[in-house]
Formats: sequence, structure tokens, C-alpha cells
Amino acid sequence: MSNETGSGNDGDKFDQARRNFLRGIGMGTAAAVAQPAWGGQTFQDTFADFFQKDYRRMSAEEIEAALERIERKAQARYDVEIECQNTPPQPGVVYGYAINISRCKGYRDCVHACVKENNLGRDSQMQYIRVLELDQGDFNLEHSDHYYEPETVPVEGKHYLPVQCMQCDDPPCVKACPVEATWMEPDGIVVVDYDWCIGCRYCMAACPYWARHFNWTVPEIPAEEMNTNTHYLGNRPRPRGVVEKCHFCIHRTRKGQQPACMEACPTGSRIFGNLLDPDSEIRYVLANKQVFRLKEDLGTEPKFWYYSD
Amino acid sequence: MPVIRFIFDGVREMFRGPREYWIWLAVLSLVVLFGAARYSQQLTEGLVVTGMSDQVSWGFYISNFAFLVGIAAAAVLLVIPAYIFDRKDVKEVVLVGEGMAVAAVTMAILFVIADLGRPDRLWHMIPVIGRFHWPISLLAWDVLVLSVYFLLNLAIPFYVLYSRYRGKEPNFRLYFPFVVIAMFWAISIHTVTAFLFSANPARPFWHTALLGPRFIASAFASGPALIIITLQIVRKLTSYNVSQTVIDLLALIMTTALQISLFFVGAELFTDFYNEGAHAASIHYLFFGLGGFYSLKAWIWFALALNLTAVVILMIHPLRQKTLMLNIACVLTFVGIWIEKGMGLVIPGFVPTPLGEIFEYWPTSVELAVAAAIWAFGVLIFTLLAKAVIAIEQGKLRYRAKDAMYPL
Amino acid sequence: MNSMTLQCLVCVMCLVVLQAQAEEAPDVRQPLRFEGYPGAPEFEVVPRKDELFFYPCAQCHETMEPNPEIRTLNTMHDAEIEHGRGRIWCLSCHNLENRNYLNTLLNELVDFDEAHLVCGGCHANRHKDWYFGAHGKRVASWQGDRTLYNCTHCHNAHSPAIQPRAPKPAPPVRAGLERQPGIQHEKSAVWDTHVEREEQ
Repeated sequence: MSNETGSGNDGDKFDQARRNFLRGIGMGTAAAVAQPAWGGQTFQDTFADFFQKDYRRMSAEEIEAALERIERKAQARYDVEIECQNTPPQPGVVYGYAINISRCKGYRDCVHACVKENNLGRDSQMQYIRVLELDQGDFNLEHSDHYYEPETVPVEGKHYLPVQCMQCDDPPCVKACPVEATWMEPDGIVVVDYDWCIGCRYCMAACPYWARHFNWTVPEIPAEEMNTNTHYLGNRPRPRGVVEKCHFCIHRTRKGQQPACMEACPTGSRIFGNLLDPDSEIRYVLANKQVFRLKEDLGTEPKFWYYSD
Repeated sequence: MPVIRFIFDGVREMFRGPREYWIWLAVLSLVVLFGAARYSQQLTEGLVVTGMSDQVSWGFYISNFAFLVGIAAAAVLLVIPAYIFDRKDVKEVVLVGEGMAVAAVTMAILFVIADLGRPDRLWHMIPVIGRFHWPISLLAWDVLVLSVYFLLNLAIPFYVLYSRYRGKEPNFRLYFPFVVIAMFWAISIHTVTAFLFSANPARPFWHTALLGPRFIASAFASGPALIIITLQIVRKLTSYNVSQTVIDLLALIMTTALQISLFFVGAELFTDFYNEGAHAASIHYLFFGLGGFYSLKAWIWFALALNLTAVVILMIHPLRQKTLMLNIACVLTFVGIWIEKGMGLVIPGFVPTPLGEIFEYWPTSVELAVAAAIWAFGVLIFTLLAKAVIAIEQGKLRYRAKDAMYPL
Repeated sequence: MNSMTLQCLVCVMCLVVLQAQAEEAPDVRQPLRFEGYPGAPEFEVVPRKDELFFYPCAQCHETMEPNPEIRTLNTMHDAEIEHGRGRIWCLSCHNLENRNYLNTLLNELVDFDEAHLVCGGCHANRHKDWYFGAHGKRVASWQGDRTLYNCTHCHNAHSPAIQPRAPKPAPPVRAGLERQPGIQHEKSAVWDTHVEREEQ
């Protein structure tokens, strides 16, 4: 359980009244139903889950309670003790990412590090990062091969392009969501409240980078491979039927650590940092390298650049 | 209370009829029940039971949704001549058309709900207790316009029928403003549905200003096709007076709309194929296949053939005036537009993906069963509404003061 | 791996004597003419000496006569260096007199832990990028103390090109669906179409 509680509202009178009301019901039912039921959950938790408000309207205590429920649910479902945190954004920080495509060799180490780090369903088989293989002299994504499996990479005459969520500054997915279940945090990360998403998948249609993925079934994660360091807006175990996406490893980066994909990259192609710090590595790249962004013409202002040297 | 009696009598009328009527209701209910059982499988196992994937994240459900909004909007083609041009013949059947709109909107909304990953969280859309992302999200717009359209199409006929039920003429000045609103609203529901797709630069296939006009044109072809057939069925099965002039009018509208619709398709094809850029990949997939994948190719050419045949029949006056030929044209148009604006519009938007991957989609038996159930449910609603409407319009169902003593 | 034990195998006899000498060696590090790139954020370099198999090199070389003649070594060291395409050899980077150190092109002594100063002598652009973070790898954090992996951490100085290796598995498709046949891409290279046109 984390003490670092984030940007929950203090709540107005309406919220307060509603909260007290719900708490009252919760107490009553807790007394009535003490034993776990409802698929390993107490009735009280199920009830609180159903009526849980969206992240940005929860008070600090409500978020705390939600985090505890998430931990209990993980215990019940995966038999793993996780720690779900709510690390707030750092002030004066907006994240940016750059990839040196002349360094990327197409190993896919980033892809698989991401799967482990972010508790992506092994059975539902979701991956946040796609590495595309393209012919040299060709940058048409429709000619790309997503499923390349040669003996060794890089293959002569090919180049590689890793694609993941670009954390657009004008994100079309956020505009699309009918229930405001996805938004951009102050540090520029576009996040999803998995407990608020209704699963309409309009954001998936709106995303020009194919960065959004859907839990077609309950994500299955082997207990021993579960990453227990989790964040509410990040890699906590997800329910079925909701959309998720790359969140720049919010549970790591907000504490100053690198995203898992960057740490895993054996070639050092990945550069991550604070766009607001003029002395940061990412700003050096933007100032000194020829950079481009994918599909920049769509006007979504990606905070994800590519460069070569 | 006359209102309660009205509802009571109306509902009683819905469930009164000859054996054939009951068999019809039973068949529809069976289809609904069967689909509901398959839907419960989707609820327990998740959308994994569908053919949809991260690559093609919308499928058969949303295809039917897009098509049905068009059918709902087409009711306006009866509303305008009935109320604005005061055509007596149209006025007699306008309520049937509005009943169809109610059924179509219901189906459209059910298709969206069936497509949701978390239908249990539908309340998140309700303003104040949830978060309704209006006016930014086009999906929020769609929910709003469809709900209001649903209410308008319930309220206006309710008032008109209730007046007739009490043996009075409805007060034209009272409901006329709502009729005007409903007219514009009909256009808006389909425009918003088109914008839902065209608002996505991520999907070049949808991202065209022509999509809105195309939606309206194809709706005004497929809608009248359905209305023409339905009115003939009503005429055949009941003693209700459906004037041939109404059908002629609708056939004429349908002819024009289908011509315009096909012209739009041609304009789209020209623009995409003259200089075939990356934006043409989806339409290339649809019409010719792409990279060895061509599951929609046969369907779209079939749809195009149906529509072209229909437009030829409709354009030749002697042919159009033959009931049989007209009916053939109606069926061809309905099926043709259903393919073109359903799967033919939704699926290619996802193929190839924004990252250039080609992954094909085909609906599973669950999707087909659920879709069949929703269609059956729509037909069921329409049958029941039409049954009551016709009885009241024919004057068979009237409020009688002495019945007021009848214990409820 | 404990390099000391391995060194015993190489030079059991003189180990004790030389070990003492190596420890006594004075800090010969002089201020370099190169003082880093102005404006580059502070950093530390991950030390690497402990991982070096033969280090301290002087253990053996102390007993040998320094030979500055350019030649191919027939010893335990890499005979072929795939670096510099014949323009450099061992003593371009290794110091002749004090084998425990590298040297720059200006003959300045450089500690093995700061090998990047040697690399930077030729690869100045890369070196600058590495200083500022556009090349190479930073350890663990994006924020706070900056620790960088040395050039030699990723590149074998004697054969610096990164060798091809097997990629990790290709992406799966979602549960319940089958992988579909690969996309048959049409020829995309412009030059290929020109070649075909000429052949016809």
C-alpha cells in the first residue's frame, strides 16, 4: 500500500454525501457477508467495485480503498501479493521518448521486457510494442513485416522500426472516449482507468499508431512471473473487457527509473527523459539530431521521436 | 385515467390476434432467446468468443449499427411529406414509419451494447453520476442523438394515437414543433454516425468528407426499400388502407437516392484509385484484395451488382411500376446497402491496420446469433407497435368511458 | 569470475612480485588535453576493470621486453583485430611502457575504466553523443545520478561491430484466433521496377 496518494479530488458536498452513503451500505453488508463469495471477492468489494467512481473524481481515501481492493483481488485471482501504488506525477516533468533507428537491430528485447514488466496477459497475448521490419529505402508501413523470424537479425537490406504508444500531446483516443476513461496526465502520459472503461473500443479506432489493445479475455499471468510493483494507472492486473496501452512504465518512470523497454534495449537505441529540462538527454537529441515523428501530418503531436546518426 | 387505459388497451391489442400472429411472435421470440443464450456466453467468457481482434476491433455488431441508424433516419421520408406537404395518403402510414424508426433505433442501441466489453458499466455514460464526454466524443454525440430520436419517435406517435384513442383530432400546433425537430434530428442521427467514422484521420478509408452525404444517400435508398416492403405486408395482412401513391412516392425517392448513392461510390473509387496512394490501401483491399487477402472482395462486388441491378430496375418506369419488379429492386437495394454500408464500410477501415498489418476478420457463430436475435427483437417490437397503431388508426380501439370502470 | 585465480594459471611464478608492483604503481594519470564536452551533464562511468580477464596487464608484460614493431601477435591475445581496417594495431590504444593503461593518440595515459577517452580520439561524433546521452546506454534511471556504460561494455574494442543474433519470438495473435498467412508484399523498391523495365 502506498502513502504517495495522487491527484484525487477533495470532493464537494455531493461527493461527500454520496461517499458517506456508500460507506454506510458497505458497513452493513460487511457485517452480513463476512466470508468471501462472488468469485473470491467479498460482496462488499464487489459492491464497492461496481460503484467505484472514476479515478479523477475519487478522493484520497477512496483511491486508497480502491488500491487495497486491487491488492485483494490480485491475491484472490493470482495468489500473489502485489503492491499497488498511486505515485503522483512529478512537477515540472513531461516525458519524451526518442529511438535511434540506425541502432535498432530488431532483437525484440524491448517487446518481451515490456510484457513481463507490465503484467501483460500471456494467454490473451497482448504486446504494447511492435517492431516492424522494412526494406532499406522503404518507409511505407504497409510494406512492413511484423512477424519476421529469421535466424539472426539484423537481416541484410532491412531496417527496423519499433512502434508503441506515442503519448500524443493532442491524443485522438482521449477525444474519442465517451466516458472520459482515458486522459493525459500532467506529465504527458496518456493513461486509462481500467475500472472506468466501458470497452467500446472507439479509442482503438481513433489511434493512428495501433497503440491501444483490448482485453478480449481475462489476462492470464503466471503467478511467479507477476510483477508485484504496480500502479493504479499502469501495470496492475487488468480486468477483462477493457482497453489498455503503453504508459511509459508509469510505476517506474515517476520514480526516476527508466521504462522497461529502454532498460532492456541492448543497443542503447532508446532515449527517455524530461522534455521540460533543457539539459536532458532527450532534449539534446531533439536539438542535435535530425528527428522525425511517425504520421506527424495527422497533427496529434506525438511525444515520441525517431532519429538516426 | 385515460392514459393508463390507453397503454393498457394498446398492450392488450399487441397480444391479441389470430394463430398465425402468435406463431409469428413465437418464432421471433425463439430467435431472440437463442441469441440471448449465445450472448450470455459472450458475457461470461468475454469478447474472445467473437472474431474481433486488436487488428479489427469492430466487426459485425458495429456494421449492423451503422446500417440500422440509416433505417431509423429514413422514417423522415414519410414524416416530411406527411406533415410538411400535408399529404393525406402519407399521413395515414406515417405512424407505421415512426414505429419502424423506434424499432431501428432500439436495434442500433442494442448492437452497440452487444459490442461493449463492459456492459455492466453502461451507467458511466449517464451525466452527473457518470462522466458523459460530450460534446467532445463523437460516440457521446451518437448516444445523445439516438436517445433523443428514440424519444421523439415514441412521443409524437404516442400523442397522436392517444388523441385518436380518445376520439379527438391531435392538436397540430402542439406537436408540429416536435415534428420539425424530429425531421432535422433524423438527418442528424445519421450524420453523427457518419462523423463517428469520418472523424478518425487514423483510418483513411473513413476519413472523407463524403462519408456523411454517402450515409444519408444510402439510408434514403435502403430505408424506403424496407418501408415499401413493410407497407405491402401490412396491406396484405390487414384491412388497413395503404395507398399505392405512398409506395410510388417512396419508390421515386428510393430511385433518386440510390442513384446519388452509387454516384458517391463512384466518386470515392475515382479519387482513391486515380492516384493510388497509401490512403487507397483499404479500398484496394475491399475491391481487389491486398497482399493475398481478399475476404470482402466477392461481397462488395456482389453488393455493387445488387445495387446496380436495382437502380436499373428503378430507373425504367414501366419496370418500377410493376409490383414484383419493385419488390425485387427493394430487396436488392436493402441487401446491397446492408453489405456496402455494414461490413463493407466498417471492416476495411481496420485493414490494413495503422501499422500496415493485414489481419482478416470474420464473424463467429456467437456474433451471428446475437445479431440475428437483435434483428428479431427489432422486428418483434415493430410488429407489436404496428399492431397497436393500426388498431387505433382504424378506430377499432377507442376509449370508452364505461370501460373506465374496468378493473385494472 | 575471479580473474585472480585465472591469472595464477598464466603466471604462477611471478604473481606475488608483480602484484605488489602493480599496487605500488603511482597514479600516472595526468590531466588530459581533452576536458569533456562543455555543457554535458555530469556522469560516472560503470567500472569495468574487474571484468577484464588479464588485468592488471603488467603482471605479465613487466617480464617482457616492450616491442613497438607493428606485427601480428601470435599470443593469447586476439590475433586479428577487426577494428580500423588495418589502420590501427595494439599500441594505437594500449600504452607501450605501462600496460595497465591505455593511451590516447596524443600519448596520454588513460585508465581502463575510462576507455571512452581513447575511443573518442577517433570517434569524436559518437563520443560527443555518448557524453550527452544520444549514444550508448545509461544505467537504470532517467533522472538523478547519471551512470553510463562504457563504450567497451557493448563494443568489443578488438571487434567493435555488434554481431547479429537471434531475435525474440514474433508477436502472437490474440487467444482464440489463428495466425494468418504472411502478407505477400508487392515489390516496393523503385530500382527493381527500373531493372525489370530495362530487361523487357
